[in-house]
Amino acid sequence: MDKLNTGRHISGKFNDELDAVRTQVMNMGGLVEQQLRDSLVAIENSDHELAEQVLQRDYKINALEVQIDEACVQIIAKRQPAASDLRLIIAIFKTIADLERIGDEAERIARVALESFNNDQQQFLVSLENLGQQVLAMLHGVLDAFARMDLDSAYEVHQMDAQADRQYEGLTRQLMTYMMEDPRGIPKVMNVLWSARSLERIGDRCQNIAEYIIFFVKGKDVRHVSPESMARTVGRPQPDTE
Amino acid sequence: MISVTPTNNQAESLDLENLTADQTALEIRNLNLHYGDAQALHDISMAIPKNRVTAFIGPSGCGKSTLLRCINRMNDLVEICKITGEIRLHEKNIYDKDVDVAELRRRVGMVFQRPNPFPKSIYENVVYGMRLMGVNDRRTLDEVVERSLKGAALWEEVKDRLNASAFSLSGGQQQRLVIARAIAIEPEVLLLDEPTSALDPISTLTIEELITELKEKYTVVIVTHNMQQAARVSDQTAFMYMGKLIEYADTNTLFTTPTQKQTEDYITGRYG
Repeated sequence: MDKLNTGRHISGKFNDELDAVRTQVMNMGGLVEQQLRDSLVAIENSDHELAEQVLQRDYKINALEVQIDEACVQIIAKRQPAASDLRLIIAIFKTIADLERIGDEAERIARVALESFNNDQQQFLVSLENLGQQVLAMLHGVLDAFARMDLDSAYEVHQMDAQADRQYEGLTRQLMTYMMEDPRGIPKVMNVLWSARSLERIGDRCQNIAEYIIFFVKGKDVRHVSPESMARTVGRPQPDTE
Repeated sequence: MISVTPTNNQAESLDLENLTADQTALEIRNLNLHYGDAQALHDISMAIPKNRVTAFIGPSGCGKSTLLRCINRMNDLVEICKITGEIRLHEKNIYDKDVDVAELRRRVGMVFQRPNPFPKSIYENVVYGMRLMGVNDRRTLDEVVERSLKGAALWEEVKDRLNASAFSLSGGQQQRLVIARAIAIEPEVLLLDEPTSALDPISTLTIEELITELKEKYTVVIVTHNMQQAARVSDQTAFMYMGKLIEYADTNTLFTTPTQKQTEDYITGRYG
């Protein structure tokens, strides 16, 4: 079945409305990706100015979420979309909610970037950076998959989350050891831990968006299903059980 | 496990490929229909389940009304029409030579696009079929009128003026009167050919509400151009295109995840 043939509606205006709302989602995604990238750069370079910019830009994401919601409500009211059009609107509704939350997490990370860390603590920031790059790649990948409604890339992003989870666990262990060794550093380390948690949550949200893409393309809800069932849905070989 | 499915009027989905005899009202087998040299229906096979609403949708000329009319042999009236295949009502092919067509039409009632009451009183319209069957007992007829008009959700509006002309009713009321006339003779199957296309939105909703009530007693087959109507009232939907049955599925499935591209294009309003 065709995926994104929004241009083929008999109603040209309906085509325009769907295209406009998709463009807005891509804009929102681009903005969220920039926020996450900047917050990670701000941490890496202790760039307070950049961190401040991230904090100031968050309202734009929130405004886009409201606008897109409104546009979707209008489409449902006027067009009564069915089948793939309906699934597209539902996928957009859910995706933008997750994007908005990713924006909030980026804001949280930027707040940590405003702190000053001593040389000893800098090592955690490196580990945080590694996790950050993994999650950024997931966000980039899932937005790309959304733009093309590409089943394979969505599934690949979904699979990337396991790696992010492992990195998060490793970092948590590292931070706990440090806290036990030097309790005076706990307040700072806690901040790093919160950032790591934010990144891990962003990974989960990218996974959610990947699930909405699979829902759009296949018409099957793959939330809360076994990895085997998901692999079957996207037509992949069964994953090896580790 | 808590069920989150709303308690709507849509029945549970059935395995349409493997209905049991108990679940089946009608079975259409390899039905072909020609008007002269032109083939209007191509090898249609489907089972229509009992006490449910089945909708036929598709663009104009796709054969949905023709198929509906085959179910009570309305096409017999068209001279150049040739039919092969079977339609089984209780295991009996309605096209067998020994079938009494009048009796078939008593069992399979039909309502058309434009309300067509007879130029008689409301009362006489409802009992018309009974009188044809030779029933003239006043008490029986009174009972039939009340039961049928109640069944067609019209009783409260007309009970005080049963002897008024049927033409004094509004279009929506006339259509419900015609439905009352159809159910007065207690058919098994009710065929509705675009029953609301000549009605305003409020009368349409009244008829739709009525359809969901009617399925408790009758098997309803409806042809409609209004896809949202099919989505709202039917339990299963058949999509037809150029005389062929393209997809026949549970309504919830057909309107969210159709499997055929032609169905998808039609219900989303795309160029075929």
